Amino acid sequence: MKRIFFILVIYFLSLNSLKALIEVDITRGNLDPLPIAVSPLHVDIKSEKYQNLKIDELGINISSIIEKNFKGTGLFNPLKKEAFVQKPDIAHLKPRFEDWRLIKAQALVTGKILIKDEKLKVEFRLWDLTAAKEMTALAFTTTPSNWRRVAHIISDKIYERLTGEEGYFDTRIIYVAESGPKDQRIKKLAIMDQDGSNTKYLTLGNELVLTPRFNPTNQMVSYLSYFRNMPRVYLLDIETGTQEVVGNFPGMTFAPRFSPDGKKIIMSFAEDGNSDIYTMDLEKRVVERITNHSSIDTSPSFSPDGKYIAFNSDRSGLQQIYVMRSDGSDVKRITFGKGIYGTPVWSPRGDLIAFTKVRKGRFYIGVMRTDGSGERLLTENYYQEAPSWSPNGRVLVFYRETKAGSKGEGFSATLWSIDITGYNERKLTTKTDASDPSWSSLLSK
Amino acid sequence: MTKSLIYSIIFHSLMIVLTALSLPFMLREPIDLPPIVSVELIQISDKTNIPFAPKARKIIEETKKKEDRVVSEQAPPAAKAKEKPDRIPLPDEKKESKQIVKKKQNPEEIEPEIRQSSEFEKKEIIDTNQIAALIDKAKEEEAVKKEKTKKFTQSNVKNSFATGLTLSEEDALRAQIFGCWSVPLGLPYDKDLLVRIKLQLKKDGTIMKSEILDHQRMNKPGQKFYKVLAESALRAVRLCQPLKVPPTGYEKWKDIQLNFNPAEMLKG
Amino acid sequence: MIFNKNLKNIFLVVFTTLILSACSTAKKSGDMDGDVYTGKETVKYLASGVPDRVFFATNKSSLTTASRATLRKQATYLRKNKKLNVTIEGHADERGTREYNLALGERRANAAKDYLMTYGISGKRISTISYGKEKPVNPASSPLAWSQNRRSVTVKVN
Repeated sequence: MKRIFFILVIYFLSLNSLKALIEVDITRGNLDPLPIAVSPLHVDIKSEKYQNLKIDELGINISSIIEKNFKGTGLFNPLKKEAFVQKPDIAHLKPRFEDWRLIKAQALVTGKILIKDEKLKVEFRLWDLTAAKEMTALAFTTTPSNWRRVAHIISDKIYERLTGEEGYFDTRIIYVAESGPKDQRIKKLAIMDQDGSNTKYLTLGNELVLTPRFNPTNQMVSYLSYFRNMPRVYLLDIETGTQEVVGNFPGMTFAPRFSPDGKKIIMSFAEDGNSDIYTMDLEKRVVERITNHSSIDTSPSFSPDGKYIAFNSDRSGLQQIYVMRSDGSDVKRITFGKGIYGTPVWSPRGDLIAFTKVRKGRFYIGVMRTDGSGERLLTENYYQEAPSWSPNGRVLVFYRETKAGSKGEGFSATLWSIDITGYNERKLTTKTDASDPSWSSLLSK
Repeated sequence: MTKSLIYSIIFHSLMIVLTALSLPFMLREPIDLPPIVSVELIQISDKTNIPFAPKARKIIEETKKKEDRVVSEQAPPAAKAKEKPDRIPLPDEKKESKQIVKKKQNPEEIEPEIRQSSEFEKKEIIDTNQIAALIDKAKEEEAVKKEKTKKFTQSNVKNSFATGLTLSEEDALRAQIFGCWSVPLGLPYDKDLLVRIKLQLKKDGTIMKSEILDHQRMNKPGQKFYKVLAESALRAVRLCQPLKVPPTGYEKWKDIQLNFNPAEMLKG
Repeated sequence: MIFNKNLKNIFLVVFTTLILSACSTAKKSGDMDGDVYTGKETVKYLASGVPDRVFFATNKSSLTTASRATLRKQATYLRKNKKLNVTIEGHADERGTREYNLALGERRANAAKDYLMTYGISGKRISTISYGKEKPVNPASSPLAWSQNRRSVTVKVN
């Protein structure tokens, strides 16, 4: 008995001494983007010639794309190459961490490329300089002409390793390329890499085209075309270039989007002037009416689990955002703020809805929770709308139009991106004026 | 037309004069409603604003000396590459002929060529297999984590009561680490993330041993954000050493626990 | 002092009334009633005395008295020319989201169509199309231009 008591006393004493451990809460740090050094990839001297590819410059070109991607996130600060202290080949084998730390880098990317037998072999490593250790290392082989995508895939892997969420660099954006005076715009479907390179036009501009949207596998695009002056939703296979009208509607169909499984298109159909929301099953060719209301119901967008639909309606008198079950039941208005709300788009993460708000003649892009609470306006401008989510749900791309003079001069339409914290607003580089952007999912998935 | 215009002008100007004379309340500044744009302001209190650069330089140089030793002790690099077919998700060739990354050309994993140089670093070796964790799983884990986090959060007041550091000593240490810690900006702002690191210090404030208290969580699938935060916290303490410790009372502070909680920062 | 206050109040009432009437006269003397365009600048004619278009208030598709008068003229004209078919194009100004504007244009075109039908024109002779904000008649970014662009235009097909 005595012994047990003794043990208990010892036990409590030791407990006490454990409790005395000093604890300090660290709740603040610096918010500067993480300084990262992207060393040019080392080009193996055994590399063979491949077509007209400039092999010598490939290593530095790939690293430049990675740097540009990182800079665009606002989360990283790629350091200037002039300050680099080690040659790419040696750094890739074994960086002298202390030297890299001197230039205040916290992470380092190194790599090596080899072109042999018409194949491009790339390997890269990400180093934690403070801990003096490798964080990740990968290698892969591809066709040399694909080197830009290699740079994007590397960017995605590093981004994921350093932020904990998926990247969005190996992606494309489909949009409407615009040219000509404001009252006679020529509009074509165009597709480009997320960083603005590799622009391709998918239509010739003979007819008005609007609001292209990718399907989940990025193979198909649904969009509105005024072909033969009959505005209808079309489906375009990007690979084959084949197009077809979606459904056989006796009037205008518009505002298309794919369901998350890609099997359905949801859109508006205007019958006798009244727009309601319909879905069409692309395999079974079955059309289903989702809303039936004398107001305008448009801009439908599925939740990522396919269970709900957010849409735009003026049934209260002005444009507001509503959410309903995917069968059209249980309609709930979610926006009650001052001003009008349009273009709801459900985030791929499922937790937010992006929207356009118009108030006192100004246009805002914002996000809110799916019940309408927690509204946050990210950016304000003369005219902007049509947000589209990056695949990881962190960034929105949208388009902006400028105020025109009395003859329409000074008018422009451009693509912009902003992340959902409201930081880091950026203009996207496009070859022509651009509107109606839609972001693809990750291509390498 | 002209007449009505003249009337209009007369009445308008009369109205203005009268307003100015008789309605002083209209002279008041119109209420300036704040603009609706949400601006994310980060508040950093005065005491945390310590000059970072000169200090960092000193630290870097000191660590450099140490690093020299460590590097020389490292085992020679052992280059080995082995085939691991499912490492990077590559575009499906069948679907898109334009996508040139070919299926059969499998990505390979490169084995780390440099050995880990100390005990605690070994614990952080990362298995890239876990990069592609399932989203659903992540959500479940998140819920579990939230519970845990709540349990462990402690208030400042309690700390200073329980610890052997005076308030100013604690503040000095906190301020030092604030300067070294690059908060990973991409973390979700609405999740409660907390990383607890236990340090064993030498008398000069350098780190003898560091341990992430829930470090097994780092390698669980769906804990990517936790892992990122933990790594950033480790970077911070390493970048900061030697830590600013009181000249006396070594026994009291030789074991110390730092709780990194970015929630306040990320919310802005 | 009290007298002074009363006097002030009387002045206030009298001149507020006057200023309000002054304002409304000023607005009517322009080319807009409220924000509905009432001028003739962009208007074309199906035939002599038959204007081809009617204008709408912001976000509205209801017909004004002037619009109804115009459409009655169109109806009369269409009754006289029995073989003529028309398309009514509905338009919106640039100050709304694209998709909503497409729906709004459709609604405006149909408002005009329905009115023509109540005056005995067969619905088969009238087709509608909406261009939303895509085809402004006035490319300027001004309230006047927007009012001219909020329109439905009756176009001869054959």
